[in-house]
Amino acid sequence: MGWEEKPVRGYAEFARTAQQHHGRPIFVLFSGDKDAAGHSWCPDCVTAEPVIRGELHNMPEGSIFIYCQVGDRAYWKDPNNKFRKNLKLTGVPTLLKYGTPQKLVEEECFKADLVRMLFTED
Amino acid sequence: MGSSVRKGRAVQQAEPPRRAAKEDFHQVTQNTNNGRAITASRTEASTKSSTKSKDAELILQIQSYIDKNTVVIFSNTTCSLSTKVKELFKSMKVPYFSLELDQTENGQKLQEALYQLTLETSVPVVFVQQQQIGNYSKTLKAHEEGKLQKLLEMNGPNHLQESYDYDLIVIGGGSGGLAAAKEAVKYDKKVMVLDYVTPTPLGTSWGLGGTCVNVGCIPKKLMHQAALLGQALKDSHKFGWQFTEEAVKHSWETMTEAVQNYIGSLNWGYRVALRDNKVTYENAYGEFVGPHTIKATNTKGKEKLYTAEKFIIATGERPRYLNIPGDKEYCISSDDLFSLPYCPGKTLVVGASYVALECAGFLAGIGLDVTVMVRSILLRGFDQEMANKIGEHMEEHGIKFIKQFVPIKVEQIEEGTPGKLKVIAKSTTGSQTIEGEYNTVLLAVGRDACTRKIGLDKVGVKINKKSGKIPANDEEQTNVPYIYAIGDVLEDKLELTPVAIQAGRLLTRRLYAGATLKCDYVNVPTTVFTPMEYGACGFSEERALEKFGENNIEVYHSFFWPLEWTVPGRDNNKCYAKIICNIQDNERIIGFHVLGPNAGEVTQGFAAAIKCGLTKEKLDSTIGIHPVCAEIFTTLSVTKRSGGNVVQSGC
Repeated sequence: MGWEEKPVRGYAEFARTAQQHHGRPIFVLFSGDKDAAGHSWCPDCVTAEPVIRGELHNMPEGSIFIYCQVGDRAYWKDPNNKFRKNLKLTGVPTLLKYGTPQKLVEEECFKADLVRMLFTED
Repeated sequence: MGSSVRKGRAVQQAEPPRRAAKEDFHQVTQNTNNGRAITASRTEASTKSSTKSKDAELILQIQSYIDKNTVVIFSNTTCSLSTKVKELFKSMKVPYFSLELDQTENGQKLQEALYQLTLETSVPVVFVQQQQIGNYSKTLKAHEEGKLQKLLEMNGPNHLQESYDYDLIVIGGGSGGLAAAKEAVKYDKKVMVLDYVTPTPLGTSWGLGGTCVNVGCIPKKLMHQAALLGQALKDSHKFGWQFTEEAVKHSWETMTEAVQNYIGSLNWGYRVALRDNKVTYENAYGEFVGPHTIKATNTKGKEKLYTAEKFIIATGERPRYLNIPGDKEYCISSDDLFSLPYCPGKTLVVGASYVALECAGFLAGIGLDVTVMVRSILLRGFDQEMANKIGEHMEEHGIKFIKQFVPIKVEQIEEGTPGKLKVIAKSTTGSQTIEGEYNTVLLAVGRDACTRKIGLDKVGVKINKKSGKIPANDEEQTNVPYIYAIGDVLEDKLELTPVAIQAGRLLTRRLYAGATLKCDYVNVPTTVFTPMEYGACGFSEERALEKFGENNIEVYHSFFWPLEWTVPGRDNNKCYAKIICNIQDNERIIGFHVLGPNAGEVTQGFAAAIKCGLTKEKLDSTIGIHPVCAEIFTTLSVTKRSGGNVVQSGC
């Protein structure tokens, strides 16, 4: 079965998708939006993405990987945006295991062995 | 300064660091150690203030590293040649001791002393079998010429030191263990942490971090806070907040979920910290199987063997059971309480420890019917006047006490979450028995050290047969020189997280960074988070009387009423402050006791002052902050001796 990727944009779509796959291991990468040319406004997200993608094969069988674009820079900076309020996110990129306190924030996402640890260990 | 070449007399690595005096052929350049063997310079070298003897101290320190290790590399974490020379020894599978001078206390001075000893102008400087090899290029040359091999094999191949898997293995990933491990990696050591939680009889388990994080201080304080907030809600009416009492309800599930979530983030944080710092962590049960060797068994039963040069035992303790029918089947302990998936309901707490009283306190504070069954006295080891005040306060606030009884049987009347249990208890003073029905029975009758099943007999580590605790010297070393112990497993030491952390850090610095500072176990402040909090530092009144005599101590005391409690009109003349002074030593404060809100916050500062030698006079000359509880300490004037009234009225 392997794993499936679900790209989503914005909080509502993220919440819906996570809810839909309740019961499966869900990992979410929150990133700054990419423009038409595929470039994100968030430089750390650009660095982290290949590292994380390089470890996706380590996720448990049947996992869902949600790639969530949070919005433009202005939306992200707003202290009341839905991600900050509802999920208590403090930075992008954030990679988390949904439903657990396990997460990696910003530079932590650059480290392949931390990403691997998040994907493979309980 | 004297000859720097030490001709080879091999030092057996198995010897303990403390050696009896030997024939001393080492050239001692200063005379601080006339005729005595060079042992660890930290204890022998004098503390005279002249520069000459400070240099001597440093040289002795360097010499001791050279003597105690087959291969020594004086190095620098930023130096590439140091790294290269270490790689060389690694490729030869030869273990070495490296001292990172840029990470070491007095590193700069040590480097100067090293130059004086060796005439090498920079790091690395290598010694093999006490013989100076020199810098990287000299070492490489010696290696290529076969000289290093010759030196290493000097005492026959069987004396060649085995190459260990790790420099340090820490058994136990709690407060002490993690602190020691994280400190050790700063000095470039290869470290492993083994942490394993044997599930409770009811099957409860938890993640990395030890007792404090998972089933101790952290959840306890959070639940204590939940109870305090309940009290605050009651007080708030008088301050103008309007809501009906019926609207106020407490959800056990909401509280435990939030607490467990926070604990989960801490467990995760520790995992990230260890991985990030290149500490190898295994969720496996560690036990010694032979010298320098440990067997790690993971949750799936898979066994692996690891070797290390040094070990730290930091396995902590677990709650004791009563050994009565029904205890393991039906009773819970603090290990289960903080993650109990259902509200405990009407609870019997057995015990009079701070664990028992703190748990009873917050359970009652969130509205549960709580009874405490006590065999004899409250808070053994603590100041009894304060312990009794704590008990009285709890009783006045609805917690029932059954004194001088012990449970002899626990039966299940009804299954459920919670179910119903019947407890039969016997009097300690007669033959009377009583019965009671409760939803939950929480046992808090003491904790046992986790030392009996970790193979200590296989490596000869002595433990106290009765208590299971490990005796160690003031450097936390057990009777086996390469095995150390920190935290709750230690005999005769305070069982507190900050003590374990401090001991772990200082131990690691002494082992790997040339530090000499030992853990100071004197005047450690503590706080008991019962509904009426109690903070203390130093002697209890009983111990002070015993040690100094009634005529040599002066006890000042007073009740006080926190301003915040005046409006709601509660607990007047219940909060209490007491200091014990040593008359013969300038009325030095040797005991500090406070019963009142935020006792921990209040006590912390005074603990620092006591470490600085606080006297009554200095305390009196400190101006108080107004209006706060702690200011009472700056105006204490009534002594117990005088018999004066300490009841307060007004501001």
